[in-house]
Amino acid sequence: MENAPLDIDSELARFAREEARKLGLEREQWVEPVRSNESFTAKDRATTTMLVSGLTLAHDTLVCAALTGLGYRVEALDAPDNAALQFGKEFGNRGQCNPTYYTVGNLVKHLVYLRDEAGLSTADIVNGYIFVTAGACGPCRFGMYVTEYRKALRDAGFDGFRVVLFQQQGGMKQATGDETGLVIDQKFVFGIVRALMAGDVLNLLAYRIRPYETVPGATDEALRECRELLSTAFRDDASVVAALWRCRRRLARIEVDRTQPKPVVSVIGEFWAMTTEGDGNYQLQRFLEQEGAEVDVQGVTNWLLFMVWENRYDTLQRQTLKQDDGGRKGLSGKDATKKLWMLEAAEHAVRAHFQLYAKAIGLHGYHLPDMEQIAALASKHYDNHVRGGEGHMEVGKLVHFIEDRVNHMTISVKPFGCMPSSGVSDGVQAAITARYPDAIFLPIETTGDGKVNVQSRIQMMLFRARQNARAELDLVLAEKGLDEASFKACVNGSRRWRSAFARPAHRFAGVAANLAAAV
Amino acid sequence: MSSTAPSSALAIGLDVGSTTVKAVVVDPATQQILWSDYQRHETRQPEKVMEFLVRIGEAFPAATDIRIFVTGSGSGPLAAPLGARFVQEVNAVTLAVEKLHPDVRAVVELGGQDAKIVMFQEGADGKKTPITSMNDKCASGTGATIDKCMVKVGMKPEELSNLRFDPTRLHHVAAKCGVFAETDIVNLVKSGIPSGEIMNSLADAIVHQNLSVLTRGNTLKDRVLLLGGPNTYLPFLVECWRMRIPETWAQRGYAAPDRAVQELIFTPPNAQYYAAFGAVVYGLAEGNDARYAGLDGLRDYVQNGRAARLGASAGAPLVVDDAVLQAFLDKHTIPSFQPATFLPGTVVRGVIGLDGGSTSTKAVLVGQDGAVLYKSYRLSKGNPIADTREILREIRDYVTGQGATLDCLGFGATGYAAAVLEESVKADVNIVETVAHMMAAVSFFPDVDVICDIGGQDIKVVFLRETPEGGRDVKDFRLSNQCSAGNGTLLQAMAEQFGVPLHQYADTAFAADLSPKFSYGCAVFLDADRVNFQKEGFTAPEMLAGLAQVLPKNVWQYVVQVPRLAQFGTRYVLQGGTQRNLAAVKAQVDYIEARVPDAQVRVHPHCGEAGAIGAAMETLRVVTRRGHSTFIGMDAAIDLAFTTKNDEETRCTFCPNNCSRTFIDTRTPDGRTSRYISGFSCEKGTVESKEALKVLAKQRATLRDQFPNLVHEESTLAFRHFYDQRPLPPAGSSTRDVEVRKLPFFRVARRAFNRGFQRSHADLRGIKVGIPRVLNLYSTGPFFRTFLETLGLSRENVVFSTATSEEMWAEGGRYGSVDPCFPSKVTQAHVHELLMHAHTDNKRGPLDYIWYPCLTHVPSWVSGTMDHAACPIVAGNPNVIKAAFTKEQDFFADRGIEYIDAALSFAEPNLMKKRLFDTWGPRLGVTEDEVGFAVDEGLAALRAFDDSMQAKGRAILDQVEREDRVAILIVGRPYHLDPGLNHGIPEEFQVLGYPVLSMRSLPRDPAWLRRFFGDTDPMSISDVWPENYSANSSQKVWAVRLAARHPNIAVLDLSSFKCGHDAPTYGVIDSIVSKSKTPWSALHDIDANKPGGSIAIRVKTYAYRLKRVEEDLRERSAKRAELARRVAERRRELESQTAAK
Repeated sequence: MENAPLDIDSELARFAREEARKLGLEREQWVEPVRSNESFTAKDRATTTMLVSGLTLAHDTLVCAALTGLGYRVEALDAPDNAALQFGKEFGNRGQCNPTYYTVGNLVKHLVYLRDEAGLSTADIVNGYIFVTAGACGPCRFGMYVTEYRKALRDAGFDGFRVVLFQQQGGMKQATGDETGLVIDQKFVFGIVRALMAGDVLNLLAYRIRPYETVPGATDEALRECRELLSTAFRDDASVVAALWRCRRRLARIEVDRTQPKPVVSVIGEFWAMTTEGDGNYQLQRFLEQEGAEVDVQGVTNWLLFMVWENRYDTLQRQTLKQDDGGRKGLSGKDATKKLWMLEAAEHAVRAHFQLYAKAIGLHGYHLPDMEQIAALASKHYDNHVRGGEGHMEVGKLVHFIEDRVNHMTISVKPFGCMPSSGVSDGVQAAITARYPDAIFLPIETTGDGKVNVQSRIQMMLFRARQNARAELDLVLAEKGLDEASFKACVNGSRRWRSAFARPAHRFAGVAANLAAAV
Repeated sequence: MSSTAPSSALAIGLDVGSTTVKAVVVDPATQQILWSDYQRHETRQPEKVMEFLVRIGEAFPAATDIRIFVTGSGSGPLAAPLGARFVQEVNAVTLAVEKLHPDVRAVVELGGQDAKIVMFQEGADGKKTPITSMNDKCASGTGATIDKCMVKVGMKPEELSNLRFDPTRLHHVAAKCGVFAETDIVNLVKSGIPSGEIMNSLADAIVHQNLSVLTRGNTLKDRVLLLGGPNTYLPFLVECWRMRIPETWAQRGYAAPDRAVQELIFTPPNAQYYAAFGAVVYGLAEGNDARYAGLDGLRDYVQNGRAARLGASAGAPLVVDDAVLQAFLDKHTIPSFQPATFLPGTVVRGVIGLDGGSTSTKAVLVGQDGAVLYKSYRLSKGNPIADTREILREIRDYVTGQGATLDCLGFGATGYAAAVLEESVKADVNIVETVAHMMAAVSFFPDVDVICDIGGQDIKVVFLRETPEGGRDVKDFRLSNQCSAGNGTLLQAMAEQFGVPLHQYADTAFAADLSPKFSYGCAVFLDADRVNFQKEGFTAPEMLAGLAQVLPKNVWQYVVQVPRLAQFGTRYVLQGGTQRNLAAVKAQVDYIEARVPDAQVRVHPHCGEAGAIGAAMETLRVVTRRGHSTFIGMDAAIDLAFTTKNDEETRCTFCPNNCSRTFIDTRTPDGRTSRYISGFSCEKGTVESKEALKVLAKQRATLRDQFPNLVHEESTLAFRHFYDQRPLPPAGSSTRDVEVRKLPFFRVARRAFNRGFQRSHADLRGIKVGIPRVLNLYSTGPFFRTFLETLGLSRENVVFSTATSEEMWAEGGRYGSVDPCFPSKVTQAHVHELLMHAHTDNKRGPLDYIWYPCLTHVPSWVSGTMDHAACPIVAGNPNVIKAAFTKEQDFFADRGIEYIDAALSFAEPNLMKKRLFDTWGPRLGVTEDEVGFAVDEGLAALRAFDDSMQAKGRAILDQVEREDRVAILIVGRPYHLDPGLNHGIPEEFQVLGYPVLSMRSLPRDPAWLRRFFGDTDPMSISDVWPENYSANSSQKVWAVRLAARHPNIAVLDLSSFKCGHDAPTYGVIDSIVSKSKTPWSALHDIDANKPGGSIAIRVKTYAYRLKRVEEDLRERSAKRAELARRVAERRRELESQTAAK
């Protein structure tokens, strides 16, 4: 009896709910379930296939092998093509950028293939596969592409498909206990980084050799075998350096003729657009080679170094403040000294490892960029605090290329409307090109269509670059009093200069001119 | 062309463009042109080339050593079969110019599809380097746009060649994009603007576009050569260049030589052959040995080569076999309409519904029982009154022609023409098209779930819900933005281009065995695809089939943006004139059936006249309920006299916009007159006298008080002084400091101590700082004003640029080198204003500084996000602007102004203090203590700004809750507060009686929020969007998340064209509002130009829906009262039971 007033209240509450329902007064609330990464646990590892994709064929293959070596079941997706773009557009938000459409669409395309062609049930796909990708850093729209994966997968009928992220700047902090399926520990990070660097040296060397091969297709054939050699090493946890030496022996068999004056074209721009080798940039690298250029690509290692630089710069800027700030970059609650030491160690490790690999495979005279120099060159024009995409790097690199005569032409490739690249870098580059009117700089935007127009613009600029490469060689030949025939004879008679790995000292942008100066 | 006796050696140059083939035959020894011709290829490039080569062969029978060079967008695949060398066309033109006109420093070439600018820049060694620039795909300013607009205004080519440029009578035309330009041209035609003025306006817009974008901010220095078809054949365009280029010279202080402008900016004779000639020059210079291989290769290519290459890239055909086609036709062919017949002497009673659309006028006569008795469709002749008179006469004549008489019981209108008809013929009904289409669909298919209407220009998709009475009502809608296409006009235009009559489109397309895969979206992009596919060799039937297949993608993926169609229901009705084209219907049916199980797709039997039928049905309902009609009657309407006036007298002078207005004055036979005014961009344009304007202003003031517009209030509060800052502390007053010492091994040591506050006593009252009123300054403005005022600047010396306006953009928009979203691009015009106009009209002299910091992080009230970063384009914009104003000459230095763009982060106040001291300490001589104090005051001002807005928002929400009304919440980015960027859309709703909330004005008081969020964190959005780095995007999502829980908030979502940061929010916001059933409408892709028609349809449709929402609110309010009554009654029952025990 003492509880009577309480009973009245609860009875009234029940009655009110019931009556509200009868009157139609409830209001449906929305919920957006976000699946946790934890749903991939250690016991799933044996039965779950990890899908990876996103860089060049060499990188994807080697990362795949490295993860297999760590005990994961892994498959690399093909390079995203225009069919992937269509999937991305259908299931993604309108107004996304190409890299998002291509990469998200590529995953959806593969899952649709598994369902419709390979005959797997949706449940088997959702339970048996996960997609692993690097979490982006913001702040452009591509930086938020994980949201896009979730939306597209849900809309394409793969609700619940797991996308597992590892943060590029998260370091080792992400190891989250024994139960986690994806253990992001030292082995994992080093495995991926080594695979990326091995992919880099292989690619960089191939781009140096292919334009000058005397038997068309010889480089690609050797490259395929080298990928296989390296994959085996990563899979079996064998010596990568030894595998690189084997690659070197294979590559040495390619015959080259570097006496042809070819314009060197550096490809910079938005990270994905300049890295992919598929429809995402209209096979830009191959097109340039077909048009008679030597392509200077940017390695993924440069990106790692940029991230180290960013962290170091930000920490140094904040370490001497009178009080620490909170926020993502503020040092409140963080050990700045330790962080700086770790970054120092990371940079040394990356550079040392890269050079070890480069030497092993025969990539001579290749210098990883000095990020401090790039930042300093850019800072007058592009504030080093402004980030997104490649940040100030595009501007810094162009100034470096021009002042140090690195190439004959620079192409900055980016997706249509790329926020950091088209929206900011290109605007600032206008001032750089006004300062150096002789420099050949071409910004191009990719959309997936309009290939002909883009190629036409490249041909337009390449014409001048080709002339400059020719003029450069003629100048050296004249200086040395050589004619072209004797130059060729001279080079062909030398085992050193005929080698696939030959790299004469850098005086001019073009290899032929440098060779002429060296012989 | 001169001709000398041919030797055996020849060089042929062929320029195969998107519309024409041009050829020259050159003597390789002298580089003299011996032969030339130029013809349209009608999309048969290889055939036309073959024809040319045959004729060249006949003209030079003795030639044995022939080299051949090809250029132009269509020449690529022809090079190999001909043995020719391909030369990129800009290289070709550049070489031709270098050879023929060595003194030219700039070339502007407008082609059919692309525009190019070449500027010859002189290096230190005197060597000239050509800097070339081509339009990206998202631009118009080309021959194709001019051609299309010429057709729209109804001018003949020979009339155009006699047109002179008259800069005094120009109207707004957006030249950024061909689709936008066409929309503006259609509107000008409808407003009765003379054709010549419209074409002049287009020319001016194109020139402005090229000067502002294509030059990448560089100056076109003399001599300027104008090339390409439009520049060759349209003298008014050349005159426009001759006027606008020298204007940029004057503006930028470039001294041109004292010569006639005709010599400085000129079109050479035979300009059309420059590319073909240049190709030869190029080929010969390169020593290229491209030997002409004869015609066999080309012949083989035409006959076999093309088709063989297509297999891999082609898509599926529209129909796989005849049986499928027949089954489709049986199901979806619309039975032909038989108009009713009447017996002589009978009286036909009915109502007339009229749809004055963008390109056509449709009318129906509907009987009292709702049956369609007669219908008519005619292409618009440009004037809505004239079109209406004609169509009404046709209806009357049809009835009287059979000896019957027509008793018109009422008249209703929809579409662009409805407003003028409501005024002039007193139409009973003026309803928005979307609602008209719904009524038309429901009257034939009462159970419809989704209506898809595809008209000439617009795509409208309406989702319906069942009403309690079992009827159907608008649940939601999607309309195409300006920036989308794939509509009826496009199909029609493409058919015309291939010479296929529209009524044969379907049969032609069904005959194709494969189709090219067009990318969907913009019409300009589709046209670019068309050129590519033609080049690849797809035939007309295949192209038409491919284009029809783009249509559903445009509708569902681009406009509706929801891939899960099944969620809307299973019953689809296709309406709009485009559905007469069965190829379009087939593509739609296939698309929907593939995605919606058990879909029933039906075509409206009167698909072309659905809008008119809807207007008629509504008229029937209105006149029946009211008992009478307001319509002036058939005869009076048919005999309505009218005059249209558009001149200096009708121009609106009530604001600096000076809109060009059109007055349409009508007079009925019995002498009643009315005036309809069109062409204004704001309310002021609706009146003619100052007195009337005063009345209007008073009305507006009343309206403002009654229905506040917090978007407007926030936009002014952000920049004016409202916070009285504390004065700087006196020197020596106690302050806490920290000494920081750097130690070896990356270590630092800090020591805190007390000391006296350091004052500089600098007198800064005379220092003038200009800040552009742009982008994130809209959310941080109070900080900057207060910071500077605290340091000692006087209030009037903290100068913000004015709000964005068309004039500002026209004057200052020619410096940028990139083409991002308009809000970022327009910043150059703000900085230009500060440079050129701020403080120049008084004796204080120009500004000392222009301060436009790179704001990397901005304040945000949302928690649980990854970061509070600003958009990278916005953050980097100050660097871009610096480049734009310093690359050719340093405009800042020239005026003694220092430009400051150092980066700042609002996420880290201590870092901000340091960076601000680094910036201002040396410049103003202020101390670190003073800067630190000023930063604290600035941040306090931001808090006061927030508090003030929230108090206002809370008052509005309390009021609408009390009164069961709806408030409109504008969600957007901070700069959408700028009236020049939001195009006055918030005001449109204010005028309709809805209070307008800004995102900042939403209350963030935890106690108030608990009502809606319970125990969940009200300030976090991690449940809907965990990976969020952008402060402004997360605030937008936060606002929608609150709106989804507040019954009295309706959302209007604004987003600018090319906004990369908004793209990820679309899906998140869509899933929130769909689940919560929150009223939501969006205007995405807002750009520089104001899409008046598009805004009007949205506002009206949304207002129609919001009326229903308010009805629901009242109903729920009554139910809640009923619930309270029942609960109270139950309590009494329970209490009496307890007492009884």
